[in-house]
Amino acid sequence: MIRRWLSERLNLRLRFVLPISAIVIACMTVVSGFLIKRQADGYRRELQTNGETIIKILAVNAESGVLFESPYELDALLGTLHRFASVDYCLIRNLDGQVISSLGQNRLTPDDLSPFRDSVYLSKTLVSRHFVDGQGHKVLIIMAPITTERKTVQRESLGLTAGLDPSLTASTVSESIGWIELGMSVSSVDEATKAATEAAILLAFVVLLVTILVVAIVVNAVVKPITSLARATDQISRGDFSTVVQISRGDEIGQLADVFNRMTRTLKHSREEIEQYNRTLEEKIIERTRQLDDAQAQLIQSEKMSAIGQLAAGVAHELNNPLGGILGYAQFTLEKLRKNAPDKTTSKEIDSYIRYVSDIELQARRCKTIVQNLLRFSRSSRTVEFNETDINQTLEQTLTFVEHQLRISQIELMVDLAPNLPRIQGNSGQLQQVLTNLIINAMHASAPGTTITVSTRYCPALGEFSGTVEVAIADHGHGIARENLTKIFEPFFTTKEVGKGTGLGLSVSYGIVKEHGGEIMVESEVGRGSTFTIIIPVQKQELSADKTNEAKSGQMA
Amino acid sequence: MGTTGNQSILIVDDEAIIRDFLSEVLEDYDVAVACDGDEAIAQLKERSFDLIITDLRMPKVPGQEVVKAARELRPNAKVVVISGYSSLHTVSQSVTHGACAFLSKPFSIKELMQTVTTALEGDGDNHG
Repeated sequence: MIRRWLSERLNLRLRFVLPISAIVIACMTVVSGFLIKRQADGYRRELQTNGETIIKILAVNAESGVLFESPYELDALLGTLHRFASVDYCLIRNLDGQVISSLGQNRLTPDDLSPFRDSVYLSKTLVSRHFVDGQGHKVLIIMAPITTERKTVQRESLGLTAGLDPSLTASTVSESIGWIELGMSVSSVDEATKAATEAAILLAFVVLLVTILVVAIVVNAVVKPITSLARATDQISRGDFSTVVQISRGDEIGQLADVFNRMTRTLKHSREEIEQYNRTLEEKIIERTRQLDDAQAQLIQSEKMSAIGQLAAGVAHELNNPLGGILGYAQFTLEKLRKNAPDKTTSKEIDSYIRYVSDIELQARRCKTIVQNLLRFSRSSRTVEFNETDINQTLEQTLTFVEHQLRISQIELMVDLAPNLPRIQGNSGQLQQVLTNLIINAMHASAPGTTITVSTRYCPALGEFSGTVEVAIADHGHGIARENLTKIFEPFFTTKEVGKGTGLGLSVSYGIVKEHGGEIMVESEVGRGSTFTIIIPVQKQELSADKTNEAKSGQMA
Repeated sequence: MGTTGNQSILIVDDEAIIRDFLSEVLEDYDVAVACDGDEAIAQLKERSFDLIITDLRMPKVPGQEVVKAARELRPNAKVVVISGYSSLHTVSQSVTHGACAFLSKPFSIKELMQTVTTALEGDGDNHG
């Protein structure tokens, strides 16, 4: 848990500095402790050695003073101890335990010391021991016997050997005559130890600071470029390829930065290339789409022109009839007007002139309507606007220039339009083209004397399906062979003789109806005729964009 | 003009304006009209005509049938075909079926009168 917290919080610098500091502190503590302890032991040993040396010298020099019980001599001897700062006190006792001479003040109570003293008297050798007085001062107490040598000469050998070899004739006996008790203050040792400890701690701090500083500098040298690399990586990941890592060093990090910058440049280059490709691709798609749209518009237009060509005979016939009337009546009227002098013109004649000219006007209007319809139909429209369209009206307009052709082909036309059809969203011109195409097809399939029925109806909405408007064009012609039924909407598929169709009529019609969100259905039986039904939804807005695209691609296929 | 009154002409056209106009122009003749092939054939069965002027493209029974019927029923009658849409095929077909002249719409009064006169004069020559 803590580890996780630490790993989340600690940055790289702390990760280096903290453990290294801990190690340094630990090492310093161990090393300093060891050194201080060693030094303290050394001080203690030195103190003891000094004390023992002093006490030995004192013991030798105090011999006569004790023997002769001369306090003055002993005081003078102890007076020399002033030179030793570590000497706390010094006592010289005789064998009875009486203090003959003393220096300094013993702060230890007799109770503390008497057992030790007793044991020392028995041992008769140099003994030392540490004590702590009432104030907490540590004191090293050394006791040593003061001895003297007594020579005993045996009476028997006195005469024989006297003067020849004194060593053989006299035996020496060492004998305690008193005790020296030396108190050495250990506080100086403690002070020295304390000073050493303080110095060690100070040193440790300095070392620690230096270590932290060095580690920080070293770590910084590593962390700083890593941080800038991380920042650069972050910027690149957000799509900013202009980032350059500014590290100019010859070491591994410098190499890493160089490689990183090279990688960034390559990435940037690749990214730019991809963007360029995308742009080019988009431009190409737009261009191709435009070309396709143009081609489609051209196709629709040329198919329309083909339909007009097929209607030309009917239109010409239809135009020539009124034109015949116009021309005839105009000439007739002129002739009569020229023959008859104005003053002799009877009112009956004037009435007939009025009738002729009215006929001329009527027939001229008829011509105008025919030409207008034809022009409206043939008009090329690059942009296809969808408006509220009345299918019945569109159908009636179509019939005005198709019916002549039907008439001269001796095909009867039956029209059965449902009243009050809802309007659809559509392009009247395009729908007219579809209807014209389907009626021309029906006409081509029909034999003279047969009937073509054109009807409209409304299918109300049912559940999720919107309401539809349907136009059915039924002929009693030769019908379509079963194997051709699936192909009739394919471009360039035709069963007509050369010159009677482009093979594009139904495919163009299919495309147009699909763009209206509708469908063309066909039922046919060979020998009995065909019925083509256009179904167009009443609400065009339900048509999704996908569907329109499908219609377009379907058409292009 | 007085003599023309004896000669009879049957005008066959589905277009009222053409029928009216022809009747008007040929008012000096004995003119009868029919608005389609059926009616024309019925009239041909009833009486004879010196001249039959017929349109080709008409609903139900086309002009070709009228030409054929005239040749069968009234072989002496002259036939002039008028049409708003003429092709070599339609002209030759009419002639084969027995038409003596072809007028394409729109035609002038002069053309019409010439054709009618020629046809009727020819008729006069034939009969003697």
